[in-house]
Amino acid sequence: MKGTIKDLLNIYGVEGYVITTNKTMQIKIPSKYKTQNTKKQFRDLYKNITEEKKRPGNIIEVYLEDVMVTIFINGSTIMMVLSKKGANQAVLRMTGKLVIAGIAKAKDK
Amino acid sequence: MNIDITGDIEKTRCPEIIKILSLGKRTGRLSLDNGGAAGNIFFVDGRVVHANCGPIKGAKAIYEMATWTSGEYAFFVDDAADSATIDMPVDNILSEVADRIRQMDRITSLIPSSEVVYTLDPDIKEKEIALKAIQWRVLAYIDGTKSIADIANILGVALFDIMRIFYTLIKMGIIKEGHQDRTEKGELALSLPETPFIETLVKALTNAMGPISPIIIVETAQELDIDLTTDDVENLASLIEILSSKIPKEDIALEFLKTMTDWLKLEEENI
Repeated sequence: MKGTIKDLLNIYGVEGYVITTNKTMQIKIPSKYKTQNTKKQFRDLYKNITEEKKRPGNIIEVYLEDVMVTIFINGSTIMMVLSKKGANQAVLRMTGKLVIAGIAKAKDK
Repeated sequence: MNIDITGDIEKTRCPEIIKILSLGKRTGRLSLDNGGAAGNIFFVDGRVVHANCGPIKGAKAIYEMATWTSGEYAFFVDDAADSATIDMPVDNILSEVADRIRQMDRITSLIPSSEVVYTLDPDIKEKEIALKAIQWRVLAYIDGTKSIADIANILGVALFDIMRIFYTLIKMGIIKEGHQDRTEKGELALSLPETPFIETLVKALTNAMGPISPIIIVETAQELDIDLTTDDVENLASLIEILSSKIPKEDIALEFLKTMTDWLKLEEENI
């Protein structure tokens, strides 16, 4: 396993993701979730939770009614992963950490 | 065999005896015994030609015995050496001995005796630590049950050298004084079950953090209240996550995380 987005999406129950940096936002979420007006909310969330500390490790888990949002933070990059309740959250968290670290590494290059 | 001089090391230390025998241009064997170890220094016309102390031979054996502060000595006139391992003037030997005694004084201010038992300190302060090969070999034997003297015997290293290594390791903050009796140590070992998961985890964490890893695993599992025999992936993943956060270097932490994620995914597929 290389710790890529593909690895993340291969985990059972993972529906999609949002990667936000200080300049860009990449949203890959199935159309059944209404995301038309959520960009501003994601941006506000980004402003509230990004931090200077670079090391990947901080994870926020938001339990919603039928989905779960797992937020990975690494410096000025955050990744939100949307998953169904039955998803293996442990593997998701571990893979997510590797993915966010990979993104930050690529960004630094 | 003719004994010429005998006495207590407490009253006349080894360097003084060497000086007396050298000035007197004596030939024979000086035998020293501190109760726990014994050795010999051979003289020919006042020159030191050979010394042994357990497995240590040559000048190093003299340096070892020179730091003894108790025991007995005896000089056997005309007792000849079976080999010659030292070819340096007595003054040079004594100068090196004096230097080592000064170092030993500094060491004993921190380490009261070679019988003290040390354990690895999990609360390491430095982010990165570089060790020499001999320091690593010593570290591998520090387990809370073996004393400094035990480890010196196992490795066949002079006590002075081993004390100096312990002094450095203490100063680095990676070991601490702490007697862990054998029962406690036994419990610690028992609490690491022999499962494929634990086997992989110990191997991966040892690659990342060294021989301290089993202790860290047990302590972290206790902190998180996780039973190490559990099959629950959520619990195992939490343990892995916390362990990875304890690895000081980020790239090594990610490598550890990757290894363990692969293992968990494989297990999940097998189920």
